[in-house]
Amino acid sequence: MNVKRLSRIALSLAAALTVGQAFAATRGGQMTFGRYADSLFLDPVLNDANLDIWILTNLYDTLLQPTNDGKGVQMGLASSYTTGKDGKSMVLTLRAGLKFADGSALNASDVKWSLDRARNPEAGAWNSSLASINSIAVSGNKVTLNLKRPDPTLPAALATFNAAIMPQKLFTAAPGKNDAEKAKAFAEKPIGSGPFVLSEWKRGSYMVMKRNPYYWKKGDDGKALPYLDSVRFEIIPDDNTRILKLQAGELQIAEFIPLSRVAELKADSRLNMTLFPSTKVSSILMNNRPKLNDGSENPLSDVNVRQALNYASNKDALIQVVTYGNGKPMKSYMSSTTPLFDAKQPGFPYDLAKAKALMAASKYKNGFDVTVLATSGSADDLALLTALQQMWGAVGVRLKIEQLDAATKTARYRANDFQMRTAAWTNDINDPSQITSYYTLFDNIESVHTGFKSAEVDKLFAQSQQELNLARRTAQYQQIQSIYLKAAPIVYLYETPYPVAMSKKVKGFFQIPLGNNLFASAYLDK
Amino acid sequence: MHASYVIRRLLQIIPTFLAVMLVVFLLVRLLPGDPASAILGDRATAEIVERTNRELGLDRPLPIQFGVFVRNLLQGDLGDSISLKIPVLRLIGERLPTTLFLTAYAAVLGVLMAVPLAVLAAVRRNTWVDAVIRAVFQVGLSLPVFYVALQLLSLLGARLGWFPIGGYGEGFGGHLYHLFLPALTLGLNLAAILVRTLRNSIIEVLTAEYVDFARAKGLRSRVIMTRHVLRNALIATVTLLGLNIGALIGGAVITETVFAIPGVGRLMVDAIFGRDYPVIQGLTLTFALIVSLVFLITDLIHARLDPRAELS
Repeated sequence: MNVKRLSRIALSLAAALTVGQAFAATRGGQMTFGRYADSLFLDPVLNDANLDIWILTNLYDTLLQPTNDGKGVQMGLASSYTTGKDGKSMVLTLRAGLKFADGSALNASDVKWSLDRARNPEAGAWNSSLASINSIAVSGNKVTLNLKRPDPTLPAALATFNAAIMPQKLFTAAPGKNDAEKAKAFAEKPIGSGPFVLSEWKRGSYMVMKRNPYYWKKGDDGKALPYLDSVRFEIIPDDNTRILKLQAGELQIAEFIPLSRVAELKADSRLNMTLFPSTKVSSILMNNRPKLNDGSENPLSDVNVRQALNYASNKDALIQVVTYGNGKPMKSYMSSTTPLFDAKQPGFPYDLAKAKALMAASKYKNGFDVTVLATSGSADDLALLTALQQMWGAVGVRLKIEQLDAATKTARYRANDFQMRTAAWTNDINDPSQITSYYTLFDNIESVHTGFKSAEVDKLFAQSQQELNLARRTAQYQQIQSIYLKAAPIVYLYETPYPVAMSKKVKGFFQIPLGNNLFASAYLDK
Repeated sequence: MHASYVIRRLLQIIPTFLAVMLVVFLLVRLLPGDPASAILGDRATAEIVERTNRELGLDRPLPIQFGVFVRNLLQGDLGDSISLKIPVLRLIGERLPTTLFLTAYAAVLGVLMAVPLAVLAAVRRNTWVDAVIRAVFQVGLSLPVFYVALQLLSLLGARLGWFPIGGYGEGFGGHLYHLFLPALTLGLNLAAILVRTLRNSIIEVLTAEYVDFARAKGLRSRVIMTRHVLRNALIATVTLLGLNIGALIGGAVITETVFAIPGVGRLMVDAIFGRDYPVIQGLTLTFALIVSLVFLITDLIHARLDPRAELS
């Protein structure tokens, strides 16, 4: 038997096994998931927090869905879509026989009503993602979006939680004088179009989502998803308790495992310690303005200083100290999992000699004092900043740490009353436009309050928001990332994954780079 | 016990309640940071922050906000939670029984541990038994609550599997079972305080003349201990227990977090970090009311044990 034939047999065997496994999904049962905190408000349009966003799509489905790798979109409630030749319209075709979790029909009119509500500029914080829509028309199972301009972000926007399709009749029948009051009432026991429906919620303690028997998507066995009968979220704020409960078999999944415990849990033969790729980037935001709020001179306004601090930061060492080796250096302001991330970006590799040369070229040859705002009680912030104190000391920068609780830190930041602060970001949409508009556009919260301003970036961004040609849009984003890197308004630190520990019985669960926890294809192996 | 004494003590709660109401209203607003910052986080634009403040009525002058707060309060309305968007009264109604159950459970366990051990330590004073009891509780008092909690969880929960790891359980039996470890954690801390005081009180009473007289009458030791010694020694302990109920509720904040119990302690922490003004106000008023009532009950028991207390 020659090698070729042998490998063909091996491949066929492997394929057969994979297929066999694919059809071996077990149906039924309850999966118990330990969350660090409870959801707040289960309305797709009016919510404000990841605690809601990261589970919402299990309850409310969208026309399109993000792909698991975070790079694109796949079909959801819509079975297909086409874009007009001029790029100023989009026609979506709904799947036949769609139903909400109560068995009532999901029609094109529900889609129009949901999208009109989501794009209302007076409603919620997310409406700008659908701002290009001028009007919506429906006919049969077709939904036509007439646009003000071509919008390359629209498919991703339609795959985002706020564009979820809700039942118009049930929502409008909910008690309340206006949309906000109706949303409060409806979100107590929402009926949606996702794979699950909320069946019980004892706030602060647990939440149960049971299987939506009318969900459209089919599993590998040809029957409707989800495989599980229900998912139970247990709220366990303490990391140690969450892990103990998992190890004792009282939970099947525990989220937000501290990175310091990843290695230990990887060694536990009963568990699958999984690091899901994320869009999370951690950086230090710097105030780039020439003067601080108190009128004093700001050394961080000097680009040489900002670059020097970037080069003086030993990312590999920081990754070891703070993330216990579970991170990788940031190369761009956006994560490497974000579409149109430019893999050729150099980032700021550790180079003390270069850092010293840059400091020497600046107005601050003898160094300076600088204060960074940290979140009180955050062990990660303290570990990071004490390490940076040493690293930056080598170029004469004396770092002081001011610890504040999150709300105070945000208020100071919003008032531009800071020199530096620790910050982290995750994307909500599978497109680079969200993080780019926040980090690089002065018009949108003053470039994450750094004060960074670039007419060239503004122009490139505006073009990219109408550019349907992928190659040209990619080139625009390459330029934006390069300009931003050169100006170094932030200290580039690291990307970290989502650490989730699971019993070995858990299969098919996925946390996508945006953070959404997906249970539709999850099951418990026998 | 005179009814006038009870009424007088009840009336004293009113000014306390009013003062707490004003102080908490002002204090939450003096905290740096605001609800919009806390809820909307770092990404909110100035317009969204402004809109949120307007919707919450936080753009109005403070006296008007206070007026609205008092008016609503008089109508039994504590407002809606800013982050959870449900009425505060309902939220407290859902969570408070859990914390009260835990606190009462801890107090019962604390007393059940403290009384017999304090009697034993006092009767066998200055022997090795006394030394061991005092040393063990001294260590118990010095250990942080979260450390004791985690050790109990690891040993009795995870390793031996005798108790569930956290949670509240269903039904009375379920609550007793699920809350045993957190109640024990808090109870140990309380017992450590009570044992010291009660032991000293018992020793003091044991040397009193009326105890000598009781002995001289030929009463049995058990009768002397329960009827004469404990009754008198408990006076100081009851006061101490009452004073520590507030501390128990405070301790519940940490215990509820470690043991994943959905009580008001955790709710308060979340509300403070989230600048959820209506929840902070509602909970502080509730705590003030509970502590005032506990003090009242303590005084009433005190007065029952020692009728001279009514006069003061």
